[in-house]
Amino acid sequence: MVDLNRARDWAPLGGGATDARNGDGPYGWRPFDIREVMLLLTNCAVNAVGTPLTNQDYGLLNILKKLRSNPDKELRLLLLGLDNAGKTTLLKQLASEDVNHVTPTAGFNIKSVLSNGFKLNVWDIGGQRKIRPYWRNYFENTDILIYVVDCSDHQRLEETGQELAELLEDEKLRGVPLLVYANKQDLASALPASEIAQHLGLHLIRDRTWQIQACVATDGTGVKEGMEWVCKNIPAKK
Amino acid sequence: MNLRDADTGKILWQNSEDMSNPDIEHEARVPKRILKCRVVSREMNFSSIESMDRFRLEQKVLFKGRCLEEWFFEFGFVIRNSTNTWQSVIESAPESQMMPANVLNGNVVIETKFFDGDLLITTSRVRLFYI
Repeated sequence: MVDLNRARDWAPLGGGATDARNGDGPYGWRPFDIREVMLLLTNCAVNAVGTPLTNQDYGLLNILKKLRSNPDKELRLLLLGLDNAGKTTLLKQLASEDVNHVTPTAGFNIKSVLSNGFKLNVWDIGGQRKIRPYWRNYFENTDILIYVVDCSDHQRLEETGQELAELLEDEKLRGVPLLVYANKQDLASALPASEIAQHLGLHLIRDRTWQIQACVATDGTGVKEGMEWVCKNIPAKK
Repeated sequence: MNLRDADTGKILWQNSEDMSNPDIEHEARVPKRILKCRVVSREMNFSSIESMDRFRLEQKVLFKGRCLEEWFFEFGFVIRNSTNTWQSVIESAPESQMMPANVLNGNVVIETKFFDGDLLITTSRVRLFYI
């Protein structure tokens, strides 16, 4: 005997079947994506034993799943910012990896995720001064630009602002949505995101959609919120 | 190169020796439990003295010489004297389709060809053993 009430509780996971009896599944409700349920269960299980949530709820695979309705099959996120801003740490945080042994990036780090024929590539390019002239080589086909700022590095606020301004002027990045992570908010000397926005002149941007998100890349605070914004702002392909 | 359980980010296997030498077949002894992971990531770390304009790779997972899985990746520009990483995240096959460790053991080879444009730079072959 099928318990319809239980089925109804589960049904919305599959994409919003509201009335259990009018669904189209074998028991009168829509079949759900088993992996969504697995994720939910894993998260619940982790919660139950008292350890913090894993990053699964906003991990790279999940970003990709959220984007499944996007007709384009390949997405490219580009992570830039000065050296020591926290780009690689952020990338590792997204993949639930240990962030204690991050070393300066002398080149690039790429994470590729493939799911159901969709591809997500996240490019993290080193931020040292001698590498910055090469950033341009990685602009092509970027869907979202993520710019990371160390909010405790007061001395280099101007420098980071200049680098960002140059990026925004580049033809290859024209119209590409911009997410700024105001990182290292756990440090006492960190400026709040609103002040960073002012320093960077974000309110003057007219040619693209943008967002600034306060975060702590080392523990994941705020990272999810930024990624949710990314998911909502993937532009339709030209 | 390393392999991780991509759900937890924990490293299951890693090896820092140079696996790019084309003259020998390299070996990797990987813990069996990797086959139970829902999602696995494979990370390769590589350095280049020269800059390259169109760096790309073709990676094949071969079972008894038959290709089970194929990745193409175009990096494009590579900075002179750079060290870079590429990590690919792969979802596992449904359990019903998963071949057991004793069948896979010693029969799986990861073949990676590195190119600059059309020029083949090197081929790396790594044979997997599940222990």
